[in-house]
Amino acid sequence: MIEHAYLLPLIAFFASLVMLFAGKEDPRSPLPWLGIGAMTACLTIAVSIFWSAAFGGGVLPYERNWRWFSLAASIGGKSFIVDMSVGTLIDGPAAVTLVVVTLVSLMVQIYSVVYMHGDTRFKRYFAFVSFFTAAMLGLVVSSSLLVTFACWELMGLSSYLLIGFWFEREGPCEAQKKAFMTTKLGDSGLYLALLLIYAKVGSFQLSQIQQFFDNGFMPATVATVIAVGILVGAAGKSAQAPLFIWLPDAMEGPTPGSALIHAATMVAAGILLVSKTYFVFLASPSAMEAAGWMGLITAFLAASMALVSFDIKRVLAFSTVSQLGFMMCALGVGGFTSGLFHLTTHAFFKALLFLGAGSVIHAVHTNDLRRMGGLSKKMPLTFLTMLIAVLAISGVPGLSGYYSKDLILADVWNHDHAMFWILLFTALMTAFYMFRLFFLAFWGDDRDHEKFSHAHESPVLITGPLVILAVFSALAGAGLDHDGLVSKLLAKPTISVMPGATAAAVAVPVDGAKAETAGHEARGESSGRGERHESHLPPWLHMTAITLVLCSITLSFFMYRGPTYALADAVKANLAPICTLLERRWYFDDFFYGLVALADQAAALAFWIDANVVDRVFVDGWGLLMLIFARISDAFDNIFVDSAVDGVGSLGNDLGVGLRSLVKEGQVQEYLMYAAISFSLAATLILTR
Amino acid sequence: MTLAHYLTVAALLFLIGLFGVLTRRNVIGILMSIELMFNAANVNLAAFDRFLHPEGVAGTTLALLIITVAAAEVVVGLALLMAIHRNLGTAYVEDFNLLKG
Amino acid sequence: MLEHIVFYSLSTLVLVCAIGVVTMRNTVHSALCLGLCLAGLAGLFASLGADFLFAAQVMVYVSGIAVLIIFTVMLLGRASDLHLRQVNDQWMAALLICAVSSEGLLKIARFFSGTLATTAAKPATRDIGRLFLGEWMIPFELVSLVLMAALLGAIFFSRSEASR
Repeated sequence: MIEHAYLLPLIAFFASLVMLFAGKEDPRSPLPWLGIGAMTACLTIAVSIFWSAAFGGGVLPYERNWRWFSLAASIGGKSFIVDMSVGTLIDGPAAVTLVVVTLVSLMVQIYSVVYMHGDTRFKRYFAFVSFFTAAMLGLVVSSSLLVTFACWELMGLSSYLLIGFWFEREGPCEAQKKAFMTTKLGDSGLYLALLLIYAKVGSFQLSQIQQFFDNGFMPATVATVIAVGILVGAAGKSAQAPLFIWLPDAMEGPTPGSALIHAATMVAAGILLVSKTYFVFLASPSAMEAAGWMGLITAFLAASMALVSFDIKRVLAFSTVSQLGFMMCALGVGGFTSGLFHLTTHAFFKALLFLGAGSVIHAVHTNDLRRMGGLSKKMPLTFLTMLIAVLAISGVPGLSGYYSKDLILADVWNHDHAMFWILLFTALMTAFYMFRLFFLAFWGDDRDHEKFSHAHESPVLITGPLVILAVFSALAGAGLDHDGLVSKLLAKPTISVMPGATAAAVAVPVDGAKAETAGHEARGESSGRGERHESHLPPWLHMTAITLVLCSITLSFFMYRGPTYALADAVKANLAPICTLLERRWYFDDFFYGLVALADQAAALAFWIDANVVDRVFVDGWGLLMLIFARISDAFDNIFVDSAVDGVGSLGNDLGVGLRSLVKEGQVQEYLMYAAISFSLAATLILTR
Repeated sequence: MTLAHYLTVAALLFLIGLFGVLTRRNVIGILMSIELMFNAANVNLAAFDRFLHPEGVAGTTLALLIITVAAAEVVVGLALLMAIHRNLGTAYVEDFNLLKG
Repeated sequence: MLEHIVFYSLSTLVLVCAIGVVTMRNTVHSALCLGLCLAGLAGLFASLGADFLFAAQVMVYVSGIAVLIIFTVMLLGRASDLHLRQVNDQWMAALLICAVSSEGLLKIARFFSGTLATTAAKPATRDIGRLFLGEWMIPFELVSLVLMAALLGAIFFSRSEASR
C-alpha cells in the first residue's frame, strides 16, 4: 500500500467534499457515516503502511513523485527549467503519524456522532473534521515543502472553522480570530523560510533539500535563519511560547474537534514540521538550542498555568501546550526519537483526555471543575478511561507516557543538567495538575447536586472510542518501545559532515556541552549505530524521578480529594501573588493586549500627526498653491487659449460655409469627381515618384 | 509595334471613359463611358498577355471574365435605369437626388 | 508596315469614336459611336493575336451590349433631349483630372516602350478552354453565378410596378 499513500488525503478530502455539498443539513443526516467509512479506509491503508514499515520488508523512506508543472524561464540571459513535483514521501515518523492521525480522527468522528447529535450544523461539522484530516494527512505524506505548506494553511483554515463552529456566540468568534491571527503570525516566518530554501536550493522537494544540506552546501548562517523561520511557524501552530495564547481560547469549539485538532494532531504539526526539516536544525546548532529553550519555557509556563485553572478544557489545553513544549524541547536537545515518540503517545492519551472531558461535559453540561465532583459513581467507564489517561500523561511506569517522557528526560539530561531539572519539575507539575483535575471531577462529594443528579454514563458510541483510545494510551508506549521498534522507525536523521569550512560551520559549538554532544553524535554515526544508545537516565535519577512523580500525585490527592479543600485553600492563601500571576496566565494575554493597545495609541498619534501636521502643511498647502496656479492657468486659458481655439473653430466654420456654397449636394457625379481627384492624385504621386 | 503603343491607346481610352463618366448628364452616357473604361482594361490585359507572357493565356482569359461581368453590369444597369425612369420620368443624374441632405 | 497601318488606323478609329461617345449631343449618335468603337477594339484584339477574345468582343459587345444600349436609348429617349446639353458643368475639372492621371498612365506606357513581341501569335482557344475547365474552374463557376444573378436582377427591376 505504501505506493498508494497519496490515496489517504484524497479519500478524506473527497469525503469532506461530498459531506459538505451533498444532501441537506439535517440533525439526523446519515452523511457523517460516509466520513467514518472513509476514515476507516484511511486507517486500513495507514495500518498497512505502518505494518510494512515496522515489520515487513518495506524500505524507508519511500518516495514517489509526479511532475506537477514545468516552467522554462530566462533571466538575465540564463535559462532555467523549473520542475515542480508533487508526491509522497513516507518515512518512519510519517508511517507512525499516519496511524495516529487516522485512528484519532476515526475515534473522534464516531464519538461526535453522539456528541454533536441534534446540532443544526451536524453535517458541516463532519465535513470540517474530514477536511482537516485530509489536510493533516497531506502534510504528513507530502514530499514537497510547498504542498506541506499548503496543507499547513488548510489545517489553519479548518482549525479556524472549527473553533468558530458556533459562530452565533461571541466567544468562539473572538477565539477563532485570535487563533487565526496568532498562527498567521507564525506562518509568515515559515513562509519566509520556504522562500529562502527555494532561493538557495532551487527545489521544494524534501529529499533534494536534505541532499543539499547533507553535502554541506548551505551556509550555517542561512541555515540558522531558515531554522528560526521554521521554528516561528512551528511555534504558531504548536502553540509554543510566546504564541501559545490562542490555544486555551481555541477550546470554544466543539470538544471532539478540539480533541482532534487542538490536542492530538494539528498542534503536533509544528513538531512534525520541525522533524521533517530536522536536517536544517542539525546544520544550525544555535537554532537547535533556541528550539530546546523555547520548548522548555513553554512547558514550564503552561504547566504552571494549568495548576490554577478551573475550566476542565482549559486545564487540558494548558496541558497540551506544556506537552508540546516537552516535544519541542526534546527535538531541540537532539532527542529526535524521544520527541516524536512523545508526539505519538501524547496524541493517544490527550485525545482520550479530551474525549473523556467531553463525555463529562456532555453529562453535566458545565466546564467548571468546581461544579463537578464524585462523578466516578455515575460514570464508571469514563472514570476508568480517564484514570488510565491521567496516569499515562503523568508518566507512571508501565503506561505509554512513561516511556516517551523517560526518553525525553534522558536526552535532556545528556544535554544540559539545568534544563533537566526544570523539565523534571514541569513533569511533576504535570502529574499534580492532571490529578487535581481528576480528583476534582471524579472524587469526593457532589458539589452541585442538581448537576450531579442529571449526570449519567454516556452511550456506547462515546465510551467505545474512549475504551479503544485507553487501550492505545496504555499499551502504545510499551508496544513501540518493545524490541527497539521506536528507534528503528523514528531513527534520527543524520547529516554528514563535510571536511573543510562547512564542517567547521556545522560543528561550531554554542557552548561546551553542545560541542561535546556534537562530537558524540559524530562518533555515534561513524560507528553506524544511528541511535544514540545512552538515552537512559542514571538508575538513581530514574528512581528519584519516579518517586517524585508518585509524591506529586500523593500531594495532589491530599489537596483535592475532598470533601473539604482546606489544604488547597491554605496553600492558595499563602501563595496568593503567585496564584494571581498564574491565573492571569503570566500576563501574556495582557502583554499582547497591551501591545495591541500600544499600537492603537501609536496609530492614534500617527493619525493626529497626519491630520494636523501632514495634512495641514503638505496636503492643504499644496492644494492652496495648486489652486492659485489653477486660477492663473484658468485666466490664461480663457483669454488666450480659448480665443485661439474659438478662432480656429470659427475659421473652419466660415471655410465650411464658404465651401458649401461652392458645391451642390446630392450629385453622384460630383462625388465621383472627388473620388477621381483623389484617385488621380494618388496614382500620379505613386507612379511618377 | 511595341507594348507601349497598345498601352498608350488603352490609357487614352480609359481617360476618355473617365471624362465621360464625370461629365455625361445622361445615365446611358455614363454607362457607355464605363464600357469604354472596361475595354481599355481589356486591351491592357490582352497586350500584356501577348508581349510579356506569350506562352500563357491568363490575360486573355481574365479579359473574358471582364467581358462577362461587364455584360452583366450593363444589363443590370439598364434595368435599373428603366425602373428609375419609370418612377422619376427622367434619365439625368442630377435629378437623382432623393438622398440629398 | 502593314501591322503599323492596321494599328494606327484602328487606334484612330477607336479613339475618335470614343471621343464621339462622350461628346455627342445626340445619345443615339453616341451609342452608334460606341458600337463602332467596340468594333475597332475587336480589331485591336485581332491584331494582338487574341483570336477568341476577338470573337467574344464581336459577339458580346458589338452585337450584344451595343445593340442593347441603342435599344434602351431609343426606348427612353425623348425629342427634348436633342436640345439639352449632354455635358454637365464640371467638364473643366474632369479634363484636369484626366490630364493629371495621364501623367501616371503614360509613364507606365513609356516604361514598356522597348518591349516587342518575341514569338508569333498562336491560337489560344484550346488553352482558354482547358484553363476554364481546369485551374480556373471556380472563377468560371462564379462568373456563371454572376450572370444568373444579373439575369434575375434585370428581370426583377424591369418589370412594371403593377406586375410586382
